[in-house]
Amino acid sequence: MNAPLFTEDLKLLNGNHAVAWGVCLAEPDVAPVYPITPQTPILEKLIDFESRGACQIELLTPESEHSAMAAAIAASATGARVFTATSSQGLLLMHELLHYASGARTPIVLFNVNRTPAAPWGFWPDQIDSLSQRDTGWVQLYSESPQESLDSVIQAFRIAEAVNLPVMVNHDAFYVSHSVEPVSIPDAGMVRDFLPRIPREIQLGDGTGRSLGAPIDQAAWNLTRREMDAAMKRVENVSEQAGSEWERLTGRPSAPLEFYRCEDAEIVYVTMGSMSGTVREVVDLLRESGVPAGLLKVRLFRPLPVQALRHALAGTSCAIVLDRNYSPGTGGVLHQELKAGLFGMENPPRVHGMLAGVGGVNVPVGSIAKLAADCRNAEQTAEPVWVE
Amino acid sequence: MNKHPSPLWTHLTSENRMTGTWRSALPNYQNQPSPCLGACPVHGHIAEWIKQVKDGDVYGAWVTLTENNPFPAIAGRICHHPCESACNRQHMDETVGICSLERFVGDTALAEGWQFSAPPTQETSVAVIGGGPAGLSAAYQLRRRGFRVALYETKDELGGLMRFGIPAYRLARSVLDGEINRITAMGVDLHLGVPAVDGAALETLQNSHDAVFLATGASLPKRLPALDYANPWVVDSADFLAAPVSEQTDRTGARVIVIGGGSAAMDVARSARRLGRSVTVLALEPEGRLPAQRIEVEEAVEEGVNFVHGAMMKSAEALGSGVVLNCVRVDFEPGDAPGAFSVEPLDGSDFELMADTIIPAIGQDADLARWSGVLDAKGPVVATGRDWQTSKPGLYAGGDVASMNRFVTQAVGMGKEAATAIAAALTPGDARPPANGAAQVAYDRINIAYHDTHGRNRQRNTEIEARLATFDEVQQPLGPNEARSEAARCFSCGTCIYCDNCYFYCPDMAITKLENGYVVNSDYCKGCGLCVAECPTGSIHMREDTSS
Repeated sequence: MNAPLFTEDLKLLNGNHAVAWGVCLAEPDVAPVYPITPQTPILEKLIDFESRGACQIELLTPESEHSAMAAAIAASATGARVFTATSSQGLLLMHELLHYASGARTPIVLFNVNRTPAAPWGFWPDQIDSLSQRDTGWVQLYSESPQESLDSVIQAFRIAEAVNLPVMVNHDAFYVSHSVEPVSIPDAGMVRDFLPRIPREIQLGDGTGRSLGAPIDQAAWNLTRREMDAAMKRVENVSEQAGSEWERLTGRPSAPLEFYRCEDAEIVYVTMGSMSGTVREVVDLLRESGVPAGLLKVRLFRPLPVQALRHALAGTSCAIVLDRNYSPGTGGVLHQELKAGLFGMENPPRVHGMLAGVGGVNVPVGSIAKLAADCRNAEQTAEPVWVE
Repeated sequence: MNKHPSPLWTHLTSENRMTGTWRSALPNYQNQPSPCLGACPVHGHIAEWIKQVKDGDVYGAWVTLTENNPFPAIAGRICHHPCESACNRQHMDETVGICSLERFVGDTALAEGWQFSAPPTQETSVAVIGGGPAGLSAAYQLRRRGFRVALYETKDELGGLMRFGIPAYRLARSVLDGEINRITAMGVDLHLGVPAVDGAALETLQNSHDAVFLATGASLPKRLPALDYANPWVVDSADFLAAPVSEQTDRTGARVIVIGGGSAAMDVARSARRLGRSVTVLALEPEGRLPAQRIEVEEAVEEGVNFVHGAMMKSAEALGSGVVLNCVRVDFEPGDAPGAFSVEPLDGSDFELMADTIIPAIGQDADLARWSGVLDAKGPVVATGRDWQTSKPGLYAGGDVASMNRFVTQAVGMGKEAATAIAAALTPGDARPPANGAAQVAYDRINIAYHDTHGRNRQRNTEIEARLATFDEVQQPLGPNEARSEAARCFSCGTCIYCDNCYFYCPDMAITKLENGYVVNSDYCKGCGLCVAECPTGSIHMREDTSS
């Protein structure tokens, strides 16, 4: 049915269209989506695919993101595979139902294009929209490139359906969403095998006459969170396995954490999303000048793979966290998370929190490289530092 | 994973959540009076019978209507319809055409030949004196309750003012006869053409009946002091209206001046126009303030009646073959009660009018002299207390003889109330039902989102030329579709229409449907008030719930 669209292996695609290709290959049953800049090309491309018969998605266009998520939850509870996409204000409007989706254990995949929330109004790459949703019970992945976004959205369905938790995949507005790169399109049959349909134990409409989420007492509610906790604890392994299998199938590494020249690195940059590409160049330049630097790219932010992080940073003396987000009153969210993740570690690295690229401002190679010199022998501070 | 089944999927429903414990207020279904009901002289359940019309149950509507008024076809033509002035719908677009709907129901009943049923006649007997609207209404209500009724009327025909005061072009005689015959068919002992009942006759009737209802109307014309009624060119308005057309023709010249501004004056003026006369109405009140209904004045103007407002006649004298009226402009001050007003002539504003006939129509007085010393009077009417009982125990009075509210339907209402009181007095242990003391439903209680804007379905009038050629009815009835459409405009204020909005909107499923209404389950109602907000008719209200 969709074979004609997949005859070419490599295509020039922007990040959003790459997501739509990934979604199409994942074959969701239902996709309620409300348009918003800079997410809209995902929706448009899906409509294009659907109208041409390339995929069989029930596309719903409700009147708001809140309703889109409500529809997504209900559809998912019936056992359907469900996708939705949004950005910034739209994600924030969904907030109430983000909790509901995870609480109802609906394995929805949401693609969020990271964009500054108002006020003031802006359309710029900044991850605070999704990072501020970190306590809603969603698994969060961050992507650096169109190819990674395609790969991640497919893996997201695998993770979500393995643990019955919703997964949010994020990429930066414009830097990824609208940047065109060659993207390898995986084989449809291969993706189908990668994402087998797992029958749900219970689903709405299965004839058992059960209620989903009926009012329960305190202890029973408490139990639901313990169950979510157990599911969250499985996410790291599940995504590790999904990544390994994806690497075997496509040759593209897709682990929860990605390391670049971290062996014997004295200085390790830690970041997420599009910033990683710039840092890779910085690492090369520093290495050329004899500075032992490396990059740790966090793909799986929630749950943060704490043990893997501690293992990776053992022996490193200096970690520089680059946050393209700002949580007023504390600083960078990844900075906080990393500090917490390393708590109690023997001989931990010094952790330097850098607010770099907040609001989508450009962070040039030189600025990042200079941080190595500034931090290499400096004391860490609790306060975040605004990178000029 | 834990060994327990997940509490996310359960066999629970919201039934295990007693949300009623959150409540501080509880909805209360209460058929509150609609403003029309409050304004209606017979206290008719208007919202109820209009809904029956809307539902296509015209017979049911007639049954509901005639609980309070045996004359829907008559009232639907001539009632001054204070119900429409009170109608909540006027705040949205236009009042509901209640009167035209009443006529539709009444006409349908006459066409279908629907009859009243009367229970077997008891031994208890009531005498009704006067066969006008009040007397007939009382006789009807008493017969419905099984009482023996003897009705005494001085004229040879029943109807009183409805027959002898209201011209046929407003109330066709076939309609009048139809609705009166339906009452007499219930078994009324009729005594027509009897002498006027004086004090001694009252005494006799009281002795031979268990109760007496006096409804002799107001038969004495008020007299203008400045006018010599012995003149051949002066014709009394009551005599004129009661006379057959041939006699009306004989007694009027080419130029008629009618003195007065009430309904009777309009009836005289418009009747005279139908005789081909040139007609001028001379009224004390300024333009727009006449006591007649606005529509009557408008139709009189359409029919070519001239009006001289804010003026009075000082004297009249024959001049040649005609009469000259010496008039003066006046300053008119209305009083607090009907008929209580003052006028101040304006110096230097004298003028003359020429006429061939003068017909004064300035009102009627009750003839109280015949009961002097027998019955107490209160001003110009028989004094009555609560329940329309006079100073003589067992003797009740209503209609124009006992009230200055001189409208046909007011008289019908008084007849009903007096009959209800008589029935209660004559039936041991039968208390009168308490009045519904709840407040009337205000416009802001109606959820107008459920009511589309829709102008009123208007009755049409016969073309003016055709009107002047005969005494046929001017106002044409609504057709069945128009009536249904007009009935659908009713908000049904305070009257549940069983739309199920409360049932569907209740987020706690706390409302149960019964065969004829709803009940709130207080275990679950959390007092949110959605049912009240979504009620299109204002039939539910929240009351504070102080129960623990």
